[in-house]
Amino acid sequence: MSEPVLEVRDVSLSFKGKRTVLDVVSNRPPRNVNALNGVSLDLQRGETLGVVGESGCGKSTLARCIVRLHEPGGGQVLFHGKDVFTAQERKDRTYNRRVQMMFQDPYSSLNPRMTTGQILSEALRVHEMCSEAELPGRLADLMELVQLPADALDKYPHQFSGGQRQRIAIARALAVEPEVLIADELVSALDVSVQAQIVNLLLDLQQRLGLTILFVAHDLRLVRHVSNRVAVIYLGRIVELGDSETLFAKPSHPYSQALLSAAPSLDPDDKGRKIHLEGELPSPLDIPQGCPFHVRCRHKTPKCTTELPELRPIPGRGAAACHHAEEIENA
Amino acid sequence: MTLKSIQTPLLEVSDLCTTFWAGTASIPAVRDVSFSVNKGEVLGLVGESGSGKSVTLRSILGLSRRYGETTGSVMWRGQNLVETPEAGMRRIRGGEIAMIFQEPMTSLNPLLTVGVQIDETLKAHTDMSASERKKRAVEMLDVVGIPAAGSRLGEYPHQFSGGMRQRVMIAIALAARPKMLLADEPTTALDVTIQAQILDLILSLAQDFDMGVVLVTHDLGVVAQTCDQVAVMYAGRIVEQGPVRPVLRAPQHPYTVGLMRSVPENVPPRTPLYSIPGTPPSLLNLPAGCAFAARCSQKTTACDTSRPELVGAGTGRTVACFNQVKNAGGAAA
Repeated sequence: MSEPVLEVRDVSLSFKGKRTVLDVVSNRPPRNVNALNGVSLDLQRGETLGVVGESGCGKSTLARCIVRLHEPGGGQVLFHGKDVFTAQERKDRTYNRRVQMMFQDPYSSLNPRMTTGQILSEALRVHEMCSEAELPGRLADLMELVQLPADALDKYPHQFSGGQRQRIAIARALAVEPEVLIADELVSALDVSVQAQIVNLLLDLQQRLGLTILFVAHDLRLVRHVSNRVAVIYLGRIVELGDSETLFAKPSHPYSQALLSAAPSLDPDDKGRKIHLEGELPSPLDIPQGCPFHVRCRHKTPKCTTELPELRPIPGRGAAACHHAEEIENA
Repeated sequence: MTLKSIQTPLLEVSDLCTTFWAGTASIPAVRDVSFSVNKGEVLGLVGESGSGKSVTLRSILGLSRRYGETTGSVMWRGQNLVETPEAGMRRIRGGEIAMIFQEPMTSLNPLLTVGVQIDETLKAHTDMSASERKKRAVEMLDVVGIPAAGSRLGEYPHQFSGGMRQRVMIAIALAARPKMLLADEPTTALDVTIQAQILDLILSLAQDFDMGVVLVTHDLGVVAQTCDQVAVMYAGRIVEQGPVRPVLRAPQHPYTVGLMRSVPENVPPRTPLYSIPGTPPSLLNLPAGCAFAARCSQKTTACDTSRPELVGAGTGRTVACFNQVKNAGGAAA
């Protein structure tokens, strides 16, 4: 196996809740939102790693940690073997350039007062990617890369549709020639037919430019389509990680099984075999003891309520964090 | 099925048109939409953003009156809702026909407790006593699966999660036991696991209360799993309509075919997905012929000059296309 481009090692992050005077007086412990609880994964060069999970499970927090928008409370993020959160690395802007993030909402992630040309040249100037003389040529290349007309450079974001805006966001990320793209729900706000266009563009660019992509999304069909490997996150922990096709065909963790079966099939007669999850995601303020999924799990045993399962390889499949992964039939 | 076809439909919409005015220009948001819904039946309305799905729902309840003009007829228990004055509509809205709006985050009043908001509907549409209303409110929260219903009545919307708020919306909509439910993307903002719970709930309530449902969505999977009938809308018109199975299995309108093919199901991973070329036309500037012609692979000269009407195409469906697609790959192909 080649050396991973990016390694996330045991990253955890909790957001501090506000403590009122009353809390301090009564000596109540601070209420912290435990968004990430020891997430480890690595990104190999040129692959797409899909990250799925329900809202509030920590998918976006993980993405933001990787691009240094949040500082993790524990653990490390290594880029080519170097910790990106050391003081020395922080001063260096190359990491910011080489790992680019694209955001979910195409309506608020572009400055409404800047034209497309200004948005893109800002990125190019900040990272000193080219001389002023080369700028117009580079902008034209970028427009061609994301298949937007050249006159788009003089237009403002409000003059574009959602799909076109995501193309601009992709162009902005690609302008600085990154190695890794972090796509946080890149196409969730778009209609199916537009989604398909953007996904095609992303796959095509990945092949041409050899990009490594972390694809965060809640649309399971889409994740299955674009990813080589997939990580399933539940309450800030990876519960299953494996090869995309194997994971979707034979999920090992009961949560992955339930999540996959909840996605509505396009076939009207394929109604059976749905696994119902009881209740909702527990609050990250108060994560259950033992296996965090046991309160909603059909297969729970007394062991699950006390002992936290580690992520371990399951023979013939990927890795899963479940005490009973071998016994649980793929329902 | 035979019993259903004899009975008169619960709601019958014919030639519904809604036009909005933007300065001097008119925007034909909905054109000649006709469908009917029987008791206990679920009709799915699908299409891309801006295709007129939500405006159709709003026009049924006269909610687009203030901003535009609605013509055609919406027959509800012998009464044409398009011509019913505002006072009459107020009795029907929320009482006989209920609506669930798209965004659970913004459609509840943040300043009133959930209990007050359920009670409001019951006060307006039933003559129950205060204690009966309270009982019904608790019962409704229980039905939609909110634990500890009694104690949560006094809580405010911000104390509920997105899924729970959508359940509260459903509880409000169903409190007065409506005969018809209009649901505008009730699950779009929710996770798949919660979506499955909410859709199951709506389906079982439709069966238990013999309620008709119009479900607006852009997720074809949701349509396949919950609806009996489906109508596909494009640029304000229905382009294909019929029972779910034949329409999704073998779509005949090129637009429906395109929509089905853009969903990454049963395609080899990491290969280019099919996408319909181009973008929907602006409603301000619709072509003279078929609105889909510019993006259509089946286009002929007739498509540019005249607009195809919805015509019967077998297996109980209608299609508005001159060159219907035969043997197109549907879901099970």
